[in-house]
Amino acid sequence: MERALFIAAGGMAAQQQNLDTIAANLANAEVAGFKGSVRRFAALAAPGESLGTVALGENVVLTQGKLTKGGGPCDLAIDGPGFFAVDDPRGGVAYVRGGAFSRSADGGLRDERGLRLQNITVPNGALSMTIAEDGTIRATFAGGARTIGTLKVYDFPAPDRLRAIGGTLFERTPAAGMPRAVESGRPNGPAIRFGMLEQSNVSIVDAMMQILSAQRAYEANAKGVQAADEMLRIANNLQRG
Amino acid sequence: MDGIAWAGSAMAAAQTRLDIATGNLANVSSGGFEPLVAHGTLSAQGASITAERSGRHGALRPTGRDLDWAIAGNGAFVVRDRNGTLSRTRDGAFARNRDGSLSDSLGRTLVRTELSRGSVVRRGFLETSGADAISEMIDVVWAQRSFESAQKAVSAIDASRQRAADAARVK
Repeated sequence: MERALFIAAGGMAAQQQNLDTIAANLANAEVAGFKGSVRRFAALAAPGESLGTVALGENVVLTQGKLTKGGGPCDLAIDGPGFFAVDDPRGGVAYVRGGAFSRSADGGLRDERGLRLQNITVPNGALSMTIAEDGTIRATFAGGARTIGTLKVYDFPAPDRLRAIGGTLFERTPAAGMPRAVESGRPNGPAIRFGMLEQSNVSIVDAMMQILSAQRAYEANAKGVQAADEMLRIANNLQRG
Repeated sequence: MDGIAWAGSAMAAAQTRLDIATGNLANVSSGGFEPLVAHGTLSAQGASITAERSGRHGALRPTGRDLDWAIAGNGAFVVRDRNGTLSRTRDGAFARNRDGSLSDSLGRTLVRTELSRGSVVRRGFLETSGADAISEMIDVVWAQRSFESAQKAVSAIDASRQRAADAARVK
């Protein structure tokens, strides 16, 4: 019973962590550019006997979110794999899948949180700007339009290994490998979508289903704890008086 | 073996059955988990229960992720851990490594896929746990009740022996 008690309690703890992950996904289901995570479990087993379960870390799921038209002056999204590089508020570089950017006084393009896209400065006199699928940035001036730079898309050898650092930001980890600029706007490659926003890839229906099953699994494990406890009580009652 | 020893073996068997059922229940969310089944035997040493492989596979759940692979049919992914030990798993939630190799959720590297005839690997799917919460719950209740009945039997035999001892004392 001791074993059953701890196995079932371990199952409850694992489901608790599962619920945390699903709740975080659900809370961000409407955040543009958000990528959901999944928590994986592994059986602790020796040949011929089960020793319970253990919750492994969270893995981010980098599937494409739906692209919708944004209303902002410089909404950016990527159709396909890849990331934009922005200044990490803690220093260094962070990676995002897009966002609602706008021009700031220093000529940079900053998103809602004030994070600046790297390597882009829009000259002062520019009246409007567009970004093509391949990243070419064209600005219109009083005297006509000209190219003012290129927006780069970066990809990683192992993008699944990036670490989510809050909101829609990712940071590089050694396991993810070094970022490399990829050409966008080519067949089978990523394409930059100017004026579009990528919706979160969390499906609310899926998340609700996951919550229901995690909750039931938690309950079932709680019953296991109760049963083990009850049996211990019965065993203690063998000796009366 | 006397009555108390028989009932005692039934209690131990119920305990093993509870261990197996809770072990399966704890893994209802572990991808590709193959539950154990309780196999009861009766011998001159009393009732006993051993855990055996069930061969039960979970359902395939679509995830839409390229590196989620599920085996439809029999077979397994052969993975190698850091110490070089090969093992077989049906949990096909892989991630790409820097060097292009794939590793599973425990960080073991995929070596090859072993499929029996007629089995296929479905990409974009994951195999859910083969453990089914309902039948495991029934096993939990079964174990608890059979433990209780065996305890009643122990108590009854114990009580009648007590009465016999009391009667002997009066005479």
